[in-house]
Amino acid sequence: MNFIVILLRQTGRNMFHTWKAQTMIIFTVALSVLIFSFFYLIYFNALHLGEKLGEDLRLIVYLEEEPVESLQEEYRRRILRFDQVMRIDFIDSRQAFERLERQLGQDSDILTGVPRNFLPPSIEVYPVPSLNHLSRIKRFSDYLLTLPGVVKVQYGKDWIDRFYAFIQLMRIVTLLSGILLIMTTTFMVAHTIRLTLLSRQQELKLLRLVGATNTYIRMPFLLEALLQGLLGAACGITALLVLFNWIKLQLAGPLPALAHLPFTFFPWPIILCIVLLSSLLCTVGSYSSTRKILQL
Amino acid sequence: MIQETSPTSIIIDLIKVTKVYAPDVEALVEVSLSIHAGELVFLTGMSGAGKTTLLRLISRMEHPTKGLVEVAGIDLAKLPQRSIHLLRRRIGMAYQDFKLLNDKTVADNIAIAMEVAYRQPAFIEKRTRELLHQLDMTRKYSTRTGELSRGEQQRVAIARAVANYPEIILADEPTGNLDAETTAKVMELFHQLNQNGATIVIATHDSTIYQQATHRIVTLHAGRLRASAFGSPTAFSDTRPNEDSAPTEEALTS
Ligand SMILES: Nc1ncnc2c1ncn2[C@@H]1O[C@H](COP(=O)(O)OP(=O)(O)OP(=O)(O)O)[C@@H](O)[C@H]1O
Ligand SMILES: [Mg+2]
Repeated sequence: MNFIVILLRQTGRNMFHTWKAQTMIIFTVALSVLIFSFFYLIYFNALHLGEKLGEDLRLIVYLEEEPVESLQEEYRRRILRFDQVMRIDFIDSRQAFERLERQLGQDSDILTGVPRNFLPPSIEVYPVPSLNHLSRIKRFSDYLLTLPGVVKVQYGKDWIDRFYAFIQLMRIVTLLSGILLIMTTTFMVAHTIRLTLLSRQQELKLLRLVGATNTYIRMPFLLEALLQGLLGAACGITALLVLFNWIKLQLAGPLPALAHLPFTFFPWPIILCIVLLSSLLCTVGSYSSTRKILQL
Repeated sequence: MIQETSPTSIIIDLIKVTKVYAPDVEALVEVSLSIHAGELVFLTGMSGAGKTTLLRLISRMEHPTKGLVEVAGIDLAKLPQRSIHLLRRRIGMAYQDFKLLNDKTVADNIAIAMEVAYRQPAFIEKRTRELLHQLDMTRKYSTRTGELSRGEQQRVAIARAVANYPEIILADEPTGNLDAETTAKVMELFHQLNQNGATIVIATHDSTIYQQATHRIVTLHAGRLRASAFGSPTAFSDTRPNEDSAPTEEALTS
């Protein structure tokens, strides 16, 4: 209890005395968090969009001729060798014909006289609707094309490749900005705490002399960094939220269709994670410089 | 780790302690000295005799070059760095150079010694006011120590040393900058703490504070323990012991 009161007072005093440096750090942390979470939010939304779109995605593999039972097994084996899939359906000419008939509905009479096996047999491959699997769809289709007896592979949505390329890019950008976040926060905090420590050598020496434990000397600096990370991240996320709503508002005017797309802000657990991550990084920065300077 | 000591046991024990500062300054030579718990000892000697060095060895601010230093039953050579606070909390030291934080207030400076021991804020404030009252500095509570006179700074250093009721008080030249009246106040504080059980070592060349005292007086001369006696130093001022002879401390205290 006393420990906490004294710790808080100590930390408060420190932060109050160096408020300029504090503001600088919090601003830097906030900016890094903003940059990182901005890209992450784009990535996050693209991911969701991708999964939604991927739900009704299938590869249609047209075959030369009807596969017999054993050949079907062989196809199944070869497909699974490349990638896990959700489902594999074999559609013979007759089923394809019936499906077409159903789709035509009232107009199905135009099919009268057409031989029931005029459509080629096919395999319908439903990929696992996760990004990992979907991102390989182009290669998957190329692979399927090499299988014997395959005439053509179709997955309709042409843009899907480009979409996943975009996701790929966003993943890299998010990663890079994440690294930026780590570097700036840890180094920035480590550096400023180092300066504070150096400027207060005399006091720290005295604390040693009057019997302060290492924890006593160190805790205020760790707590200070933790608070900086917390505040910085909170500011960064808030700024992102404002930016997000502003962009949504801007887009809603000229492109009302976009307003219906499922763009969402981070859910709470992710916000919490970002804030915790930022605090952790700052604390690590502080930990390393207190360790070095106090020679603990 | 730290064992309890009974009132009559030896709390500070130096056995053949030699301290050589680089390159070859012999600050202390084969000093043996035992101080009992609850004792008040005056440590005297000329400037440069090694008084400060002796006190610094006891609080482990220095390591002896040779010999053994034991405080409260702990062999200081074996005390690991991370446990040093256990020793330091039992010792209150008023440094010759004060070691005050000059941009902090008097109250903050005194509070430090109690804060590191996690005392209640209310306790800290009460104790600080009480000490300032005893040392006649009530009005300086919120003054920055950098703005104080030397004598006032000295009293703050003393207040910080005794604030947390340490078992051992080491006062290095505590009255060097004080007038007779203030000196009396400081000595009264020390006597009061001593009566309450604290072991006190006062390094001084101010003969007025130990002349009428009935306490033990230990004299250093060029790093050697020259005499140890009770009462007025005139009792042994004529003795000229051989510089190389073993310290006479044991003989006088047994
Ligand atoms: N850190 C040091 N490095 C080198 N020599 C030192 C150091 N500290 C003290 N000395 C030397 O050790 C000797 C004893 O010094 P010490 O400070 O213990 O004397 P003192 O009795 O306290 O003197 P004073 O009464 O002036 O305070 C002196 O000759 C001094 O020059
Ligand atoms: Mg001295």
